[in-house]
Amino acid sequence: MSSDSDAQSAIVDVQNAYIEALDNKDMPAWLATFDERDDASYILTTRDNEQQGLPLCLMLDDCHARLKDRVTYITKIWAGTFQDYRTRHVVQQVACAAAADNQYDVRSNFSVFYTPSDTGQSSLLACGVYLDRIAITPTGARFVTKKAVTDTSVMPQYLVYPL
Amino acid sequence: MHIDAARTGLVWPANLNEIPKEVFTRADIFDDELKQIFYGAEWHPVAHVGEIPNPGDFKTFSLGEIPLLIARAKDNEVRVFYNACSHRGNQVEAAPYGNKREFECPYHRWLFGIDGDLVGCPSEREFSPGFERKNYPLKQPRTDKFQGLVFITLSDETPPLKDFLGDIRPTLAEAMAGDGRLKLIGYQRVKYKTNWKAYCDNDGYHAPLLHRAFQLLNWQGGTGRQFATREYGHIGFESELTVARVGNTLNDPSIVEFKGVDPSKGSRVVELFPFFIATKHLDTINLRFAIARSVDETEVHYAYFHHLDDDDELVRHRIRQSSNLLGPCGLVSMEDASVFHRVHIGNHTPGTVAFQKGVTDTRKLSFQFKQNDETGNLPRWEHYRRVMGFERSTT
Repeated sequence: MSSDSDAQSAIVDVQNAYIEALDNKDMPAWLATFDERDDASYILTTRDNEQQGLPLCLMLDDCHARLKDRVTYITKIWAGTFQDYRTRHVVQQVACAAAADNQYDVRSNFSVFYTPSDTGQSSLLACGVYLDRIAITPTGARFVTKKAVTDTSVMPQYLVYPL
Repeated sequence: MHIDAARTGLVWPANLNEIPKEVFTRADIFDDELKQIFYGAEWHPVAHVGEIPNPGDFKTFSLGEIPLLIARAKDNEVRVFYNACSHRGNQVEAAPYGNKREFECPYHRWLFGIDGDLVGCPSEREFSPGFERKNYPLKQPRTDKFQGLVFITLSDETPPLKDFLGDIRPTLAEAMAGDGRLKLIGYQRVKYKTNWKAYCDNDGYHAPLLHRAFQLLNWQGGTGRQFATREYGHIGFESELTVARVGNTLNDPSIVEFKGVDPSKGSRVVELFPFFIATKHLDTINLRFAIARSVDETEVHYAYFHHLDDDDELVRHRIRQSSNLLGPCGLVSMEDASVFHRVHIGNHTPGTVAFQKGVTDTRKLSFQFKQNDETGNLPRWEHYRRVMGFERSTT
């Protein structure tokens, strides 16, 4: 892709694909939004940990093999053991800057609502910011790194799905 | 403090393995628990000194509804204060953590050192006759420590911490890497929609059944033991873990590797009365500081640590493993978190719950447990019943 507007369009597409995958609980589709390089990563942590300089995360998939394992956790290991819930992601891009090698650093605000299937009552699961490194490839944009940093420091329940 | 247990109208079953479900759901019983247990003659872990490693570091926490401020002073001593100004009771520090040279109450600008001494108070000359600053430090509950784990109690009648912990001490030490020389690597915080007693009522029976990861990674079959202390019913699990056989299940087996040396391969779990849990699983060192917020809300701060002697590689490994193994979205614990909610829903039905696995005599408390028995929880329930003053039915 040549122009910034093409890149911006590809970035919106991959962000939308990410949201659609999670909100439809389609974990292979979630995995497909990541670049296939070995060091592609998904990180979920809290602003509290970040501000204290504490490296611990809620989810830390720091290589492509672990992204695949995240799918296995949800589809094989945990299947049938938890009260399920549906998520609804609301994402707003707030900054986008070109980085090296046809990559972009993209910042977006997010809110994730959840609706447990048994209560049917919707609430906020977490809000925060995505700090993404996105590569533009011949077949579209992919996440090299997706890092979700939550303002929410005390989660209202367990987390099955990535945010 | 004494409560009128008869007021509750609760009849405790004669069988030792039965627990009345209403203790999990009645708000009036929760209020009694605050008085009898959380503000009574028990010790409560509120921090590990490794969470606040530098002078001036502090964290805030709660014991039931009582706000606490825990700070490391210049003398490196970690002190626990009631988080309330000695003047009019205003909450002194609102931040969950930080580093400060002193604590200032914003209401009338009373200023306290990080050792709790009152060092400044405007218009002091107009105070009551005989006022002296030294009589107005931040107040401290009775405090003691075990290998850096900081305990408080609100009662003068609580036996010394050493006696409270009793035979659980060696296992608790092993859960804290042997000597408690720990440094914080971060938190996972969550509020479970469950009663505090359901949160800490997990058992040895469920692990291989609920957690499919144990089957898929072939983690079963290691030798181990479960024991409970005669007083208080603290529970200890010591398990050898067979090395996980990842097979085709995981693409990255490094997450379940064991790289440490002490204690030998495996897992230690300690549950102290009333509901503190310390876990050392593979190379993950996890202390769970919990707050009973209400009858149906339990907030848990999973704090993770590395050992001070770890090299960089081991620290990195602990960070990766700790970020993926236990806690509210961990490989072998997310299911527990979900069960906490479901148990609480089910506990609103009438009647009693019954422990079965390992029960040999329903009228006699046993201290002989197999690793996967659920009877290890019964001494703690008996301590709970006695402290709460619930009379056991004789029929």
